[in-house]
Amino acid sequence: MKRALPFLLIAAVLAIALVIAWSLMRSGTDAPIPSATPVVSQSVSPNNPAPPTPAAIAEPGADPPHAEGPANALVTIEEFGDFQCPPCAMLHPVLKEMEKEFGSKLRVIFREFPLVPAHEHALSAARSAEAAALQGKFWEMHDLIYTNQNAWKNAFDVRPIFEEYAKTIGLNLERYRQDLTSETVQNRIFLDGKRARALGVKGTPTVFLNGREVPFPSLEPTKLRPLIEAEIASRSK
Amino acid sequence: MSNTPNFERAVSVTQDSIANSTRPRSTILYAAASVTSLVGLGDAIYLAVEHVAGRSVQCTLVSGCSEVLSSQYASVRGIPLALIGAIAYFSVFSLATLAAFGYKGAGKLLTPMVGLMFLTSLWLIYLQAFVIKAFCQFCLLSALVTFILTGLVVAIIIRERR
Repeated sequence: MKRALPFLLIAAVLAIALVIAWSLMRSGTDAPIPSATPVVSQSVSPNNPAPPTPAAIAEPGADPPHAEGPANALVTIEEFGDFQCPPCAMLHPVLKEMEKEFGSKLRVIFREFPLVPAHEHALSAARSAEAAALQGKFWEMHDLIYTNQNAWKNAFDVRPIFEEYAKTIGLNLERYRQDLTSETVQNRIFLDGKRARALGVKGTPTVFLNGREVPFPSLEPTKLRPLIEAEIASRSK
Repeated sequence: MSNTPNFERAVSVTQDSIANSTRPRSTILYAAASVTSLVGLGDAIYLAVEHVAGRSVQCTLVSGCSEVLSSQYASVRGIPLALIGAIAYFSVFSLATLAAFGYKGAGKLLTPMVGLMFLTSLWLIYLQAFVIKAFCQFCLLSALVTFILTGLVVAIIIRERR
C-alpha cells in the first residue's frame, strides 16, 4: 500500500487539476444570452440561441446599445470590450472585416467593460467614446481609440490625446469636455457593466454571437466567418 | 580475533542507521517541493485556461497582465506557455512526491527539471522587464514558486552530499 501511495497522490492531483481546469473553462462559457435584437427564430437548436436567462432579461445594458448594422440582421455580435485591452484591439479589425463581408446580415453591438483598475486609462477611453456618442460619433471615436491604442496606452495623461481625436472627428470640444463626466455617460458605462456581470463576463473581449459566447481562439477571421455563415444559413431556412 | 568482522559489520550497520536517520530531513524538503509545486500548478492552470478561453486576465497588484499575456511570448508554436508551465509543475510535483517516498531516480530527475524551469523563469522576467515592459502578477508568482523550488533542490543537494 505504501508503495502505491505516491502514485495515488499523483493521480489524485492530476484528477483535481483537470476538474479545476474544466470548471474554470466552463465558468466563462455557460451563460448563453439572448440577442440584443429580436431574432427571426426563437427555437432552440445547436445553432440557435438558448432561451434568455433571467439575469440577461433583468440587465439589458445601456439603451440603445451602440450598434452597427440593421436591427433585424440575421446575426448579432455583442462584444464586451475594454479600449486598453490589447486582444480587444486585435479583434477590432476582424469585426470590421466581418461587417464589410456580411453587410446587412450582421449587426455588431459594442458594450463598455473597462477593466478598472488593471487598465488605468480604460475608463477615460470608455468615457471619451460615450461622450462622442452623445454627438453621434461613437464609432468614429471607438475606431480611433482602438487603432491608436499603442499611442496612448502608456501615456501619463490621455485627456489631451483623446481631445485630439475629438477634434479629428469634428466634435464640439466644449460639449465633449462637459459630457465626459456627465451622468448620462457614467450611467451607460455602469449599465453595460451590470449586464456584463449578470452574464458572467470576466474578461475582455467577450463576444456573444446570437447569444452564444464565442471562445477567443474562434475570433480569427478564418474561424469566425464559418460561424457567422452557419448562423445565417440556419436562420435563412 | 574471529569477532572482528562481526564488529566491523556492526559498526557499518550502525553507520547506515545513522545515515538513514538523516533521510527524513530530505523527505521533508521533497515534501515541501511537492506542496510548493501545487501553488505553481494552480497558477499555471488558471493562466492556461484564460489563455485558451481568450480572456484578458485582470491584474489586481500590477497593471500589465493583458500586455504580457497577449504578447507573442505568451505561446510557443501556438502552445500557451502557461500550459507548458502547468505540465512542468505537475512533473515537479510527481517527481518530488516519488522522491519523498524514497524513489531515488525521481530525485535525480528533479534537479535538471527545476534547473531548466529556473533558467526559463529568469528569461521570462527579463522579457517582462526589458522587452514587453509590463509585469503580470501571475507570471511573477510562477517565478517566485520556481525560485523557492530551486532553493529547496539546492538544499537537498547540499544535504545529500554531506
